[in-house]
Amino acid sequence: MSERVATVRRVEERWGGAATRNTGDAEAGRGRAGAEGGDRAAARRTQAEQRESRVGAGLSELERWLADQIGQGIAQARQTGPADWDDLARRLVDAQAPGVAGAVTRLSRVLGAEDWPGLLLGEYALLHLLAVAYRRAAALPEPLRQTVRARVGFSVTRESVLATPAVPDHWDVVGCRDEEQDRLVARRVWLAGRTTGRLAMVLSFAPAGQPLESFPPPGTTIDADLAFYPGASPLRALVAERRGLVDAGPPPGTKVSQVPALIAEVLAADPWTDSWPLVLDGAVPCPDGLADDEGNALPLHPSAGVPWRLLAVSGGRPVTVAAEWTPRGLLPLTAWNEDGGVVRL
Amino acid sequence: MTRAASGGWEAGRVSWEELVSTALVGADRRAVPPESLLERAAEQVVRMRAGRRPGRGRPPAPAAAETLPLVPGAAADRLARMLAGEQGRLLTEWLETAAARRVRVPAEMIPGLLDLGARDRSIRACLGAVAGARGRWLAGLNSAWAYLLAEPAQVPPDEVWELGTSGDRRAFLTVLRRRDPAAARELLERGWSAETPEERAVFVTILADGLGMADEPFLEAVLDDRRREVRQAAADLLTRLPRSRLALRMTARARRFVTRNGSGLRAEPPPACDGAMERDGVRARPPAGMETRGWWLQQVVAHTPLSFWPGHLGMPPDEIAGARIGDWEREVRMGWTRAAILQRDATWARALFEAEPLTDLLAVLPPEERSHRAAELVAGHPVDGQMVMMLGGVPRPWGHRLARAVLKKIVETTRTQPWNAGELIRLAGERFHPAMHEHAGEVPELAATLRFRFDMLKELA
Repeated sequence: MSERVATVRRVEERWGGAATRNTGDAEAGRGRAGAEGGDRAAARRTQAEQRESRVGAGLSELERWLADQIGQGIAQARQTGPADWDDLARRLVDAQAPGVAGAVTRLSRVLGAEDWPGLLLGEYALLHLLAVAYRRAAALPEPLRQTVRARVGFSVTRESVLATPAVPDHWDVVGCRDEEQDRLVARRVWLAGRTTGRLAMVLSFAPAGQPLESFPPPGTTIDADLAFYPGASPLRALVAERRGLVDAGPPPGTKVSQVPALIAEVLAADPWTDSWPLVLDGAVPCPDGLADDEGNALPLHPSAGVPWRLLAVSGGRPVTVAAEWTPRGLLPLTAWNEDGGVVRL
Repeated sequence: MTRAASGGWEAGRVSWEELVSTALVGADRRAVPPESLLERAAEQVVRMRAGRRPGRGRPPAPAAAETLPLVPGAAADRLARMLAGEQGRLLTEWLETAAARRVRVPAEMIPGLLDLGARDRSIRACLGAVAGARGRWLAGLNSAWAYLLAEPAQVPPDEVWELGTSGDRRAFLTVLRRRDPAAARELLERGWSAETPEERAVFVTILADGLGMADEPFLEAVLDDRRREVRQAAADLLTRLPRSRLALRMTARARRFVTRNGSGLRAEPPPACDGAMERDGVRARPPAGMETRGWWLQQVVAHTPLSFWPGHLGMPPDEIAGARIGDWEREVRMGWTRAAILQRDATWARALFEAEPLTDLLAVLPPEERSHRAAELVAGHPVDGQMVMMLGGVPRPWGHRLARAVLKKIVETTRTQPWNAGELIRLAGERFHPAMHEHAGEVPELAATLRFRFDMLKELA
């Protein structure tokens, strides 16, 4: 298991994550390309074409594999799934589709749930949808095509992201989570723009035990320009320019009752979205969800348990809470108490 | 699978449940093309995720307003670090100090503290104070934390006696007893029969403060309580009153069982444990490994007023404590030790400590003397488990004399047997006066702990 995950990680790092850490200077890169002339460019084109055909073959195989599974039935998935997924993920890594390989690796997470057959069917269906979308990419609108390519595992260089127009705003840092897997720590920092209302996620990696790039903690507000990775529902971003901290108080939020429409919009643009940051205003924490004063409640993710710290901060009264939306429920990130103090959850 | 159902697949009218059940048994067995099942499922899963309506929440009723001020920011930050593991052994002192300063902790730290209190009873009383109204509110939501509701939170108003939680009522009675002992006892007597056995046992112990012969009739009556813990608590108090009826009955028993025998003493255990003895708090069943009659003897001695013995035996306490008894010597000595602690008799504690340095006896001595005696012991003994245990019984802050003796012992031991000094260094770190950090430079670990406490107490001041 861990060996396979490590492989996926390595490839994701090489094909996906590496771009985020590549701090190479765009100007220098262009200068090199000009001087080296057309041979290099042609070689690179051939390489890219080879990769497209490898990915295409890998995803066709995935389509057949999924059809086989559904054709024969998934009743045995709890027993046979993990080993099958190991093999499949390895083949997808070889096919240079690390994004899909990662998604296959994560399938085993659903097996712990009571309603695993439904969850697994949902995941299989979305993988099928992704493979089909890649096959028909030429027919897709450009932003969705970019989303599909990113989900498959094609990386976008840092330079090309920074070359797009950046979004200036006062960005509230609303959440931060580090996740370690196979000696690599991934840090997600979620931001919400005060005037644009846009949400963003800045991702960084470091080998375990080594410090991650420092970022202002949740509760702070930065005056910055963010450049977004392309896609139909852009979230991941880079800080193009950071001017400094702003003293702004708790972030404005949306109402609990507005969340379904907001998520529907995100999913309509990118149906594979499985994480989206929310800042909720006037939310009353309950043992199993976040409610508004009319009793509408969004459920928490089963892994969140009873959010005792959040309950303690609220004392049964409405608070501002940042949370990560996932298809299975919310994961609380940060709360602002009645004195405006920030509590990481 | 029927044709009609297959038609449904294409028309997209299939329920999610049917999709899942078909996927489980296999699309082939139901003659459904797997690809179209996956496509229907993809549509539905996205629609379900996107269309999920909010459910009904059941928010808890809001917490009461806080009455205590929040602990200063620097102190709160330190508490967070301690909860994360830094100098965790000092947490009790932090909590005790904060409780005494009458401040409360930030709400988000309460769950972690209440989890600790669920495992460690010793901090519950402090938590009752520092967790404030929010803590009590949380304790009402989580049964694992319900213990908090039995801890007094603050000095409550008068109606608390009728309506308050058990913790509030205990606090109320404690305060009233200190101010007006008779009023507290009379209040207790009025509603006595309606109290639960657990409350009755606790309320009796509260009468220890300001105990006098005026309480004797009430406590004597409590000896008829149905619950052993309640009777026991009353008997423990009555032994502190040499003129109480219980003390006289015990004296009459003790007179027969321990007598003078030449230059020594002789002991003879009770032949039986009758109903009258049980009523006076003697437990018939011995703890595991103890001889039954010896157990009865020990308890009779433990509940006899110590003032009886010098006249009866014709010896002063220090001679009695060192006298040879022969059979049952251990039981009689244990009885006296227990009596010295129950009756808080420093003279007897001193005499018994000379004969055998038991930690429990130190607690009965005045602080200065306690420090002095412990210092003598430390100077004369190598560091071992027994010494650490003895010192563990001396509460902080250790007097100057003891601290100096222990510091010297630590420095010596670190030089010769460093592996043996660890536990003593940790204990010293907890018990020395924190200002000692300036003199502990030879032992960096100790100096660091003391410095930590020094800063910690300053932040809470």
